[in-house]
Amino acid sequence: MHDMSRPEIRAARPDPGPAEGEAQDLAFLLAQVARGDHQAFEAVYGQLAGPVYGVVRQVLRDPAQSEEVAQEVLLEVWRSASRFDPARGSGVAWVLTMAHRRAVDRVRSENAGSRREQKVASETVTEYDDVADIVETSLEGQRARRCLDSLTDLQGESIKLAYYGGYSYPEVAQLLGVALGTVKTRIRDGLIRMRDCMGVMA
Amino acid sequence: MHVLTGSYALDALDAQERAEFERHLQHCPSCQAEVRGLRETAARLAIARAAQPPAQLEQRVLAATYRTRQLPPLPADRLRRDLGQTRLARLARLARLFAGRPAADQPDSSHGHRSDRRSDRRSDRRSDRRAARRSDRGRGSGWSNNWLRSPRLVGAVAAASVAAAVGLGITQVSTQHQLDSAQATSAAIAKVLDAPDARIEATSATAGGAVTVVVSALQREAVVTTRGMPSLSSSRVYQVWVMSSSGARSVGLLSSTAHIGELLASGVQSGDQIGITVEPSGGSSRPTTTPVATVPVTA
Repeated sequence: MHDMSRPEIRAARPDPGPAEGEAQDLAFLLAQVARGDHQAFEAVYGQLAGPVYGVVRQVLRDPAQSEEVAQEVLLEVWRSASRFDPARGSGVAWVLTMAHRRAVDRVRSENAGSRREQKVASETVTEYDDVADIVETSLEGQRARRCLDSLTDLQGESIKLAYYGGYSYPEVAQLLGVALGTVKTRIRDGLIRMRDCMGVMA
Repeated sequence: MHVLTGSYALDALDAQERAEFERHLQHCPSCQAEVRGLRETAARLAIARAAQPPAQLEQRVLAATYRTRQLPPLPADRLRRDLGQTRLARLARLARLFAGRPAADQPDSSHGHRSDRRSDRRSDRRSDRRAARRSDRGRGSGWSNNWLRSPRLVGAVAAASVAAAVGLGITQVSTQHQLDSAQATSAAIAKVLDAPDARIEATSATAGGAVTVVVSALQREAVVTTRGMPSLSSSRVYQVWVMSSSGARSVGLLSSTAHIGELLASGVQSGDQIGITVEPSGGSSRPTTTPVATVPVTA
């Protein structure tokens, strides 16, 4: 039953992370940036400005505001590169988490009022599928879209509204007319399914 | 709480829930692992929406970098401290398992002991939280306070855990891969310690040092922890085995110099024994010496 001589200690799966080679370069570049290397920062900018700007604008919609937030985020990458910890995830995830969160925080701080609620009421989910001038993307981006399409409707819509729409899960629940618990579960299940679809490991 | 990993990764929690979840996350290695994977996934959602930034953005950002002072790195031992915190939380759990033992059960005697942690789970959880909070605050005198009800070994485990977190073992972890395996193993170990049927067995080794085994029969896994085993020459190592009537199966090697050792044994069942032998460095395919410690596995 068991191979008597083989150690049974559980080995961790190696973590290929996101785009493997690229991610490693990025981790290396970020370490250079942390030491004040402007050239390395230009390279980081080249890799990430598109996704950063794209995701921020996806959430904020307004181009001028998006540009402002993207600039803040990219400058923050310069400023806090020394705090990037490759043990906790890829550089891509570090930067894009920061970008998304900033955009969302901006939306939420501005939308204590009613403007957003009206928007919530009129918004349709499909809007997130046809934003103009998306850069024709990496294979990775295409794959992500395919994987997103493979989810159930409720999973996919919950994720798009939460991530691209920048809505909190209670807002998503309200928009979709489903229970809070259902949304929480669909978001998690859907993301797990996407993760597996894309072969992300962590 | 766990179901919030997805919403957290998508920034779909409000500020209060986010803060609560982050507190929970600090002491939930399996949530950390899941959040990490889901964050990577969310990053792909961003990549799928990459857009051409306005042309002037680049110049503006690059120019700003020349006017912007960078943050200094966090203290050098940060990675170790993070791992150490996981370990502290885990050892607090271990100590809590001991805390459920009858007071008469003295750990230093040479036969195995067990206790059942199922008693009083709720107050256990409270004390776990207290312990966790304490480990957050630092490693002061709090360790010896009342949440540890069984004095000696518990105190020792706790004290040793502080030593472990500060120094040994963790310092060896350096590359990302090692960190990843450490985290994955850490999560697996936490799962055993958290299992509803976790039972603890403790014994002391013949040449000194203590061996603790936490077994989950449901998961068929055991966490083997050693503390204060005598150092060996560089040509010898401690090897841990799962011994059954059909033979001995290696679990892995313990560093011959670390004060604290920890291994996860899989495929363990009632009736097996966990044994530790001294072997030539590199380990053996079967035990070649008399075990310095054996701990029976009972479910």
